[in-house]
Amino acid sequence: MIKKITLVFLLSGISSAILLAQEKGDPKTTEVYSPVPKVVTPGNSPEAAPSDAIVLFDGSNLDQWTSVKTPGAPANWTVADGMLTINKFAGNIQTKKSFTDYQLHLEWRIPANISGTGQGRGNSGVFLASTGPDDDGYEIQILDCYNNSTYVNGQTGSVYKQSVPMANACKKPGEWQTYDIIWNAPRFKTDGSVKTPAYVTVIQNGVLLQNHTELTGQTLFIGTPFYKQHGPEPIKLQAHGDPLSYRNIWVREL
Amino acid sequence: MRKNLVLLLPTLVIASFCFAQTKPEETEYYTPVPPVVTPGADFLTPPSDAIILFDGKNLDEWVATKDTVSGKKWTVAGNMITVDKTAGDMQTRRRFMDFQLHIEYRIPENITGSGQGRGNSGIFLAALPWGAGGYELQVLDNYKNTTYVNGQVGSMYKQAVPLVNACRKPGEWQTFDVVWTAPRFNDHGILHSLARVTVFHNGVLVQNNTTLLGDTPNMGQPAYRVHGASPIKLQAHGDKSEPISYRNIWVRNL
Repeated sequence: MIKKITLVFLLSGISSAILLAQEKGDPKTTEVYSPVPKVVTPGNSPEAAPSDAIVLFDGSNLDQWTSVKTPGAPANWTVADGMLTINKFAGNIQTKKSFTDYQLHLEWRIPANISGTGQGRGNSGVFLASTGPDDDGYEIQILDCYNNSTYVNGQTGSVYKQSVPMANACKKPGEWQTYDIIWNAPRFKTDGSVKTPAYVTVIQNGVLLQNHTELTGQTLFIGTPFYKQHGPEPIKLQAHGDPLSYRNIWVREL
Repeated sequence: MRKNLVLLLPTLVIASFCFAQTKPEETEYYTPVPPVVTPGADFLTPPSDAIILFDGKNLDEWVATKDTVSGKKWTVAGNMITVDKTAGDMQTRRRFMDFQLHIEYRIPENITGSGQGRGNSGIFLAALPWGAGGYELQVLDNYKNTTYVNGQVGSMYKQAVPLVNACRKPGEWQTFDVVWTAPRFNDHGILHSLARVTVFHNGVLVQNNTTLLGDTPNMGQPAYRVHGASPIKLQAHGDKSEPISYRNIWVRNL
């Protein structure tokens, strides 16, 4: 009883002290001093890697990447002139390192002489978590959508066959384009069921395409998406057949 | 027998569902088609659908908050706006709901003062004529200048600490890229959904879909009060340090 009274007295005392302080106008009661956010030196331009970024490709080599078909084997895409070009015979490639939540920057270019239509024109993709072989994972579509139409949930910036982009911000083939992506990986309970779904924000060439979009599962070519349990996973680039190029790829873990 | 048939029905439904999911066309959608937006040449250049709020020339898109008809506005010189602390806050003529905002600011190289008294300003993502005056994204010189962490640059003032401190030096131009989702209220003035904000500071993520608990007061707790589309407001802070400058401000309605 005494304990209870003391507690009530104490709590009401504290809250009235807070109220009093606020009524009196003491802004100090809502100032927080720790933990202090770490200092990150930004790049010279928004495209340049900040000081805490892991550089996945800086134009020189594929040390951070590996083959998807043959785990552990080198990623046999072509590095020349500071860029990385898809070798369709080598298949998809993915990072050696695995990630959970992150901010990703990458740049890509559709060849100026691209041909074909619909999904057969400059097709590639970035898988934000490579959950298995081939095209397993969560794909943000890359396609030449400059005057080339296809199903809207499969155009550039779509969460493939799950979420239509808010705009078509494609540049012409031959021009470099940027993706800035915020990925929040899904979390799973110990029984494998979903605790929190995945979320993604996508900005293409400075234009917002996905705003904290909730994913309903992995992206599928056929059928309805569903989740299956996984942890930190690599980032994967798709060799769909067209010789797109990539450059300036960096990631910041969140 | 009849019972058996009824039991069979769900099985048939499931079977036909599975059957339907064998063709990729089943999950391809063709309408509505996302609008075509021509991106800027780089991250700083506005896309084709942006409303230009300041391009270096004039303050036609802005009014003084204190007197929106004939109040004194800030100074335009050298293709930038410099805060006039004697004129008070300045806000857009237009009102906005959800938007993507790009804005650049510069702390003068000769800045003096410390804590909150060093290059203090702010961007109110929705200006309100009461209480805290809206929802403030803090602007401050935190390059080797400490203050309470929920009041440093990139904070949603006194509500959300930035993920990192991505400040540039005084004298250098800095960027904010903001995705703002306004709060929604129902017909009875009851809060229906919280405001949400994503912020990149110099290309570095500092707020990731942060939900707000209300406006951003200096004293007391955040609170919501019903409002609709609102202006964007820049703060003339009363501290004694040298005034900061803004340039290249554009916004895209979402």
